[in-house]
Parts: sequence; structure tokens; C-alpha cells
Amino acid sequence: MVAVSETPPARPSLWSQALRAPEFSSLVILVVVLAAFAIGDSKFLSPLNISNMIAFLPELGIIALGMTLLLTAGEFDLSVGAVFALAPVSVMLLAQNAGVDLGVALLIGLAICIAVGAINGILVTKVGISSFLVTLSMLLIVRGAALYITQGFPLKAWDRPGPLVTLLAGSFDWGPFRLYTSLWWFIALTALSIYLLDYAKLGNWISAIGSNRSAAIARGVPADQVKIWLFILTSVLAGLAGMISAFRISAASPVAGTGYELEVIAMVVVGGTALTGGRGTILGTLVGAFMLRAIRNGIVLIGVPGLAYNIFVGAIILVMLVLHALIQKNKARS
Amino acid sequence: MPMEVLRLENAQKSFGSVRALKRASLSLNEGEIVALLGDNGAGKSTLIKSISGVHPLDSGQIYVRGAPVTIRSARDAIDLGIETIHQDTSLAPDLSIARNLFLGREPVKLGFLGVFAPLDRPKLRGDASALLRRVGIAKRLDADAPVKTLSGGERQSIAISRAMQFAAKVIILDEPTNNLGVEETHSVLRFVKEMREAGHCVLFITHNIHHVFAVADRIIVMRRGEVTAELVVAETDLLTVESAITGADVATLMRDGKKGLRGTSADG
Repeated sequence: MVAVSETPPARPSLWSQALRAPEFSSLVILVVVLAAFAIGDSKFLSPLNISNMIAFLPELGIIALGMTLLLTAGEFDLSVGAVFALAPVSVMLLAQNAGVDLGVALLIGLAICIAVGAINGILVTKVGISSFLVTLSMLLIVRGAALYITQGFPLKAWDRPGPLVTLLAGSFDWGPFRLYTSLWWFIALTALSIYLLDYAKLGNWISAIGSNRSAAIARGVPADQVKIWLFILTSVLAGLAGMISAFRISAASPVAGTGYELEVIAMVVVGGTALTGGRGTILGTLVGAFMLRAIRNGIVLIGVPGLAYNIFVGAIILVMLVLHALIQKNKARS
Repeated sequence: MPMEVLRLENAQKSFGSVRALKRASLSLNEGEIVALLGDNGAGKSTLIKSISGVHPLDSGQIYVRGAPVTIRSARDAIDLGIETIHQDTSLAPDLSIARNLFLGREPVKLGFLGVFAPLDRPKLRGDASALLRRVGIAKRLDADAPVKTLSGGERQSIAISRAMQFAAKVIILDEPTNNLGVEETHSVLRFVKEMREAGHCVLFITHNIHHVFAVADRIIVMRRGEVTAELVVAETDLLTVESAITGADVATLMRDGKKGLRGTSADG
């Protein structure tokens, strides 16, 4: 072409690559936040408090994994918080009131999640309505369904332990820490998501669809099918998270997960995934999930009134987004 | 007699009540560069999109090397050896050059896993670098660099290299020199010629008639959804081509000279 230089451009060192990665700035902020809380209150790093944080973390974190993949493909899902409530409410209602076997009830719950995700995906891709409008409507429908079938009341406490319950929400002690099986779910699903997005052929397709849908289609990538499956995956993960949460506290509430959709999207974008699609990072989402969890927990510990929590979350999200934007700008200039 | 690679007969395509293509027919041969010309709305884009599978035809028949084929999707077209470089939209800016070059045809290990199969990263990178070297742009580009860091001309080169690598029979370019600088335009036109040398057939849409005379062997002119003229570049001139595009009577244009030509062009 135009230039005649003989040597290929020097590949940036691993270190400088890491410094420029969107996950890295998030990680730095996370460390700062953790350090600030640890200094602010010595109980923050106590085994009990760490156990608490790790117990909550998987529930939003699992949804965030699906949301990361979906956002990378250029769509998002506002109905996850409602699915988080509807899935366990339906399962427990069936098992407690209709006498359905818990295994069968869980399968029905799974089917509901699949149906919600499939409807979202089909309306977005085949009818061409924006995912904002489709999933906002779905949020209302699903939340409304959860309220209606329970008549607005939380279900009575779940009092039947069993292998399926242990699988979802069993707990065990590890040294001074009390951990839940949900942590294994989260670790396994995180590893699987990293594999899917960064190492598998499908990940290449997901990023390509979010980056330039028509280019992906022109290369024969089945963009609509991929998106529909990602909507289904996100919905199923939201249902799984809801189930884990409900069995951990032995109760299902029709208003559980209210507002989770925005908190999950915040986790994902704070981690460095682009809201506009094409660029997604599971590791970043992991950092984002830790960050929001730590903030929620730490703010209460250091004595900020709980009602002021959202001020901090909003401010920290803004700071993160400004940082990401500056880094991207800097990259484009160099 | 040159070998025919692609023929289109009586192609028809409507969008609602708009008849974008009405009985368009054309034939393309191996190792030739054909320019597809026509005013805005003449049906050029619809025609190439129907060949590349973006907008399947309502009726009409496509033949590849004489055999009738059906093209319903981009995948069908690619599998038949028809590669299309769409205007501004053929690359995913967030993906690396290597990942773009092999998008949709990624080299994988454990292929039985389908879309869940792991990418063969060393092969992806190696093949991409080899390809970039072959088309002569490897010296400056890192196969791992995201496409959004490239200039417009580099992007076109990448898109064209991708079309060449799978030994496509027909390569379609939709306004390949749009928004490019002078040097970048020249390198894209050089690529187009290289593809002809390599035996590919190149069909390209352009609004720049000077580019047509610089590289094309043949000109196909469309007007209102039909192919209205076919001209051999060596036997025609600018005036004839322009009048074929605008539909003006050549004799009238000749008589009125440049003034008449300008007036007619402005109408189109």
C-alpha cells in the first residue's frame, strides 16, 4: 500500500495492553473502593462480612453474565428482574399448592424462562422492535403475572430440604467463611461465559453482530438466531438466579428483584462492556459485580444512610463511564 | 469464447409497490472487470443485493457456470463463490483484522462442537498474516489490531483481501472508492486489476466514470430497473456512457456539445 516501512509495528507489551484494557481501570477502582471501605470500617474484611458479600454476589452476577453476552450482541433485557421473581414464585406455588414434584416444577419454571426469552428475542429480531420497548413491556407482563398468581403476597416459607434445594442453595463452611453452592454456579458459569465470548466461534459471531450487524449477516452469520438464543440464555440465567435466591432465604416474593435490571446493566457497563454492542468483557463484568456488591455492603457499614446508597452507586457508575470514555478516546488518538 | 461464470435472467424484485428490478438480465465472464453504472434508483444496488443474497429475487433465474442456482441468503451466495463487499458495511470495527478476515468461516479445533467449537487462534493469526502479506499490506498492519484503527483505504483492502482468499468466482464491490483519498483509491483500483489477473470476475458499482475507464473491460448500464446498455470500454467513450446512464439521445448530445451534456446530467 502506501507506506514502505519494512518492520511490522512493535506489538504493545502485555503490560501496556493490560493497562489499556477496559477491565483494568475498573479493577483499579474496585481495589480503591475495597481499600477505602476496609480503612473506613474494620468489619468490612471480617469473615462474616465477606461471607455475606459472596452469598449475594452470584445472584446478580449470574444475570450479569447473560446480560454481558446480550449487550455485546447489541441488545439488552429489562425483564430480568421480573423473571428473577416469576420463576421461583411459579416453582414454589406449583410445588407447595398444586403438589407438583419439585423437579417437575423446576422444569416448568425453566420452560417459563425460555418462553419469556424466546418471545423477547423473536419480537426484537423478527418484528424489529427495539429491545428497550420489547423488554420493558415484558417487564410489566412478567412482574404483573408474578403479582397476580401470588395475589401480591410472599409465599409461605419453603420447608422441604432435598438434593435439588441443596444443589441450588446449599451452604458449607470453609474455614471461617460460610459459602453457598451458588458460588460454584457462578464460578462455573463465569468460566463458561469467558470461553463462549473469547475463545469459541460463537463469541466471534456475538461480537461481530453487536459491532456491525449487516457485516455479520453478509458473512453468513445467523444474527437473528444468535440474538434469540442470547435472550433465552439471559432469561434462563435470571430465573436460575431467582431460584438460588429464593431457596437460600427459603421464601419467594413476587416483588423480588425489583430494579435488578438496571443494577445488572450498571455492573456490566461499569466493567467495560459497551452499551452500544461489539465490545464485551466477562472479566470486567466480574469486577463490576464485585464493585456494586461491595459498595452496597460497604456504604452501610461505614455509616452512610442506606437511603443515600443510590447517590453513591450513580456517582461511581458515572465516574467509571467517564474513565472508560477517556481511555477509548486516548486509544483512538494514539 | 470467454468462460461465463454468472448469468442473471429476467430478474424481478419489488419493495411494496416499487418495482426496483424489472426483467434485468446480465452475463459475467471469468477474468473480466465489469462496471455497473446507472443513476440513483436505477436498481444497481438491488441487483447486486439479489446476487449476494441480501434481497432474494421475486422471480428470475441465476446461473453459476451455467447451472441454475437459488440464492436465498448471504451464506448461499458465499458458498457459490460470490463474495460481496458492501459499501461501508463489510467489516465489524470492534473485531481484529484476523477475526474479520475469517468471520463466518473461522478456523476451529474440535469442529464437531459447532458454534461452540474453540477458535484455532494460532491458525487464525497465521493465515491472516499470510493473507495480508500476499496482498502486500502486511508490512504495516498487525492482524490483531481492531479494524476501527484502520483508514478507509486499509479497510477496503482488508475487505477485498477477504473476498480474494476464498477463491471467489465473482467479487462484487459496491462503490469501493467512495470516501477514499487519492492514494487509497489507486490502491483499491490496483487490487481490482490484480483480481482480474488472478482469474476472478469483478463486478463493481461506481459513480466515478473515470475509474471505469481506468480499470473496467465492460460496462453494464441500468435504468429504471432494467439493463439498458452493454458497452465494451475499448470501443466506447465518456459521452456515450454518460448518455446511456442519463437516457439522453446520444446524437442530440453530440450536436449540442458539452452544454447539452451538462444540462442532461443535472436532470438525472
